[in-house]
Amino acid sequence: MAFAIEFFLRRISQGLVIVLLVAFVIFTLLRVVPGDPIRIILGPMTAASVLEEKAKELGLRDPLLVQFGRFVGQVTTGDLGRSYIRGAQGGSTGGSQDATGFNPESRASVAELIGKALPYSLQLAALGIGFALLVAVPIGMGAGMRAGKWPDRLGLYVSSLLVSLPNIWVGVVLIFLLSAKTGWLPAIGYQGFAYTIIPAMVLAIELSPVMIRAISVSVAANLGEVYFDVGLVRGLSRRVMIFKHVLRNAAVPLLNLFGAQMIGMLLGGLFVVEYIFSYPGIGMLTINAVFQRDFPIIQAVAILASGALVAINMLVDFASTTIDRRLKF
Amino acid sequence: MKTTRRTFLAGATALGTGTLLVGSATGRFGTAWAQDAKTLSFAAAGTVTSSWDPTSHTIAPQITAEMLVFGRLTKCLMTSENPGEILPDLALEWKVVDKYTLEYKLRQGVKFHDGKEFKAEDVKATYEYGSQPSRPASAWYPGQVEVEIVDDYTVRLKTEKFGYPALNFWYVAAFLPILSAKDVADPNVLKQRPNGTGPFRYVETKGDQIVFKANETYYDGKPEIETLLWNYVPDANTRVLGLLNGQYHLTERLEPEQYESLKKEANIVTNRGLSSENKYLHFRCNKPPFDDVRVRMAAVHAIDRDQVLAVLGEAGQASNSHISPVKFGYTDVANYPKYDPEECQRLLAEAGYPKGEGLPELEFITSVGFYAKTREYGELVTAMLQEQGFPVKLTTLEPAAWEEQIYRRADGQGPGHIVDVGWITGSPEPDLVLRPNYYSKFALINGINDPEIDAALDKERNAESAEERLKILQEETLPLLATKVPSLSLFSAVSLRAMSKKLEGVYFYPNGPIDLSKAKLF
Repeated sequence: MAFAIEFFLRRISQGLVIVLLVAFVIFTLLRVVPGDPIRIILGPMTAASVLEEKAKELGLRDPLLVQFGRFVGQVTTGDLGRSYIRGAQGGSTGGSQDATGFNPESRASVAELIGKALPYSLQLAALGIGFALLVAVPIGMGAGMRAGKWPDRLGLYVSSLLVSLPNIWVGVVLIFLLSAKTGWLPAIGYQGFAYTIIPAMVLAIELSPVMIRAISVSVAANLGEVYFDVGLVRGLSRRVMIFKHVLRNAAVPLLNLFGAQMIGMLLGGLFVVEYIFSYPGIGMLTINAVFQRDFPIIQAVAILASGALVAINMLVDFASTTIDRRLKF
Repeated sequence: MKTTRRTFLAGATALGTGTLLVGSATGRFGTAWAQDAKTLSFAAAGTVTSSWDPTSHTIAPQITAEMLVFGRLTKCLMTSENPGEILPDLALEWKVVDKYTLEYKLRQGVKFHDGKEFKAEDVKATYEYGSQPSRPASAWYPGQVEVEIVDDYTVRLKTEKFGYPALNFWYVAAFLPILSAKDVADPNVLKQRPNGTGPFRYVETKGDQIVFKANETYYDGKPEIETLLWNYVPDANTRVLGLLNGQYHLTERLEPEQYESLKKEANIVTNRGLSSENKYLHFRCNKPPFDDVRVRMAAVHAIDRDQVLAVLGEAGQASNSHISPVKFGYTDVANYPKYDPEECQRLLAEAGYPKGEGLPELEFITSVGFYAKTREYGELVTAMLQEQGFPVKLTTLEPAAWEEQIYRRADGQGPGHIVDVGWITGSPEPDLVLRPNYYSKFALINGINDPEIDAALDKERNAESAEERLKILQEETLPLLATKVPSLSLFSAVSLRAMSKKLEGVYFYPNGPIDLSKAKLF
């Protein structure tokens, strides 16, 4: 128990520093790249003097550190702010607002926008990981059990091929083949579960090469361990040893890999995949926010994404440490 | 409870499955691919604002949406054969009473979507509210206006008090949406939902989808399309793929290559229409070196527009005028500057920059991802200018950054020296293009300040008849702009769209709106 408390206290405090740093970097970058949000909020025909007045009123002309301090204060109270651009109904909008009538309170709450988009992204991510496991487990195991032989080489070739396919291209090709040409599956937007299948396949193509390599290396290593031979000597069949022991032991590095690399890949993949498929998840919300200079959404997503990465890594480490106390964090 | 590897993995699996189940249970992830034959799904390239008050913005995609919902006094189809033709909409007759008065006889028995009957009071409320200079879309109004109610179905637009002829409303009336007086009285209601007399009524906004339903009481008959789903799909490839797989029936803003490939598809019908938009290279006329007309003219003579058109393919059409051929007053201007390298060199030398020597480094700002082929012809134009000695560098920005750069700032100037911008408007009225761009009080992009141009624009605006105005525009205003070149109109844009073969009876307006009131889905 004491270990768990110490572990979490230490890791949470480290995590908070990381999230704060990410938030600061994103916050600063947004404000130094070209594209003044006030022009997009109020529109091209608005007089320059009105633009400046409104920008000042919204605090967009305050020094960066003042703006950041205000933002952090607001986030600590649980308020992620309101979108600059999106209306209360959540639709993507093109800005150009009436300066006199512009009222930030009539804007969509960022927390609500994220709350609405998140289940879609989770569903897509879960199915993508599921598909990736379906492909990676048999290929990775086959390769690991026959290290140096043809299944190993096949695993290597398959993962090299999959890793070199850009997901934006794969997405377009899959929509074209499985949806536009054959009509087998729907692909654009979201009206039901079926709309998740093709985008999840694209995600799986991105995730599976890493999984295949991790599983094959881990299985091969476990097969070389003394416990495997001991098990066989004690009369357990090869099949039982592989499915009951080797697979379980091979899952630990996969779990670590999941925390360390795959969540990052998954997040990056979601952004691109959701945009190509017009899939209404967090990725789509964020990309549109970037195009529209909708700072509050970009900031909130950055914080949540870094927070999720930190939290998942922490949980993975905790799980691994609980399993094997020789590991120290 | 002790956490083991087994319990942890089991928990993680349960969490993943749970996400799927919760989604299904809430009904959000149920399967529903097929759409009924009366539902039309449109993949839109642009977004609307979060305010449904048409006087609060000037953005083209929302004007397209408003065209479905609101009626106007008159209609202009803006064909290049007869750009000045006016047809009835909410008004059945219109006439010039005197220089400062126009009279409209209104259609009777028309109802707003909320059930209120359309009357003269609605025209008065709309025009007097919309023309206030504080309203952002008052940019579409020629100026402030008073509306006199003669009786419930007759109105008079009066402009004398504001010092310009009422004739300026002749074409603009075909563009200004008519609101309900009841809504205008409460701007908050006005913002929340559009309430018009048009063929479709607004139902709701669901994220990036807007739902419209057929207006049962539309004066010209209830549309056959029962439900219209307006989907914002920012990526052009996604829009095309969605059209190919049958999820969308109609899409807009195609790239020329997409248009070419869709032409070969058996189930798709393509549509190509001249737009009311011209694409311009604006020179920043209020800073060196383009404050000197000779340098502007030299730059214009360096550009071979035929090559630009070759790059554009189906997306552009030649136009020798600062307005599009679907605008009232368009003419092929005889003195429109042409590609002439010798003249370019002569003018550069005369301005004190022989072969471009001594010119400062010039920045040419363009966008990518909004208009067709901007990067490609931007590079071509840069190369052509460089060939004549202009030290130009091309800056290509994505739309949000570009939009922030194009307009003049508080100091009256904008960044860079040459800016690529289009200008699209929804009525044949030429002043909607000419005034914001070339009148010194506005000159939103190029910052030109030229009394001769101002005088020419005032003269055509103050003409007492449409015939006189046409003559001034064609013989004085447009030729004058061709000698002052605050901008070079590169070409007239062509809109490329595609739709399902199942869809018939659609009319595309040159500024983007789509008339679906007579459309049918088979």
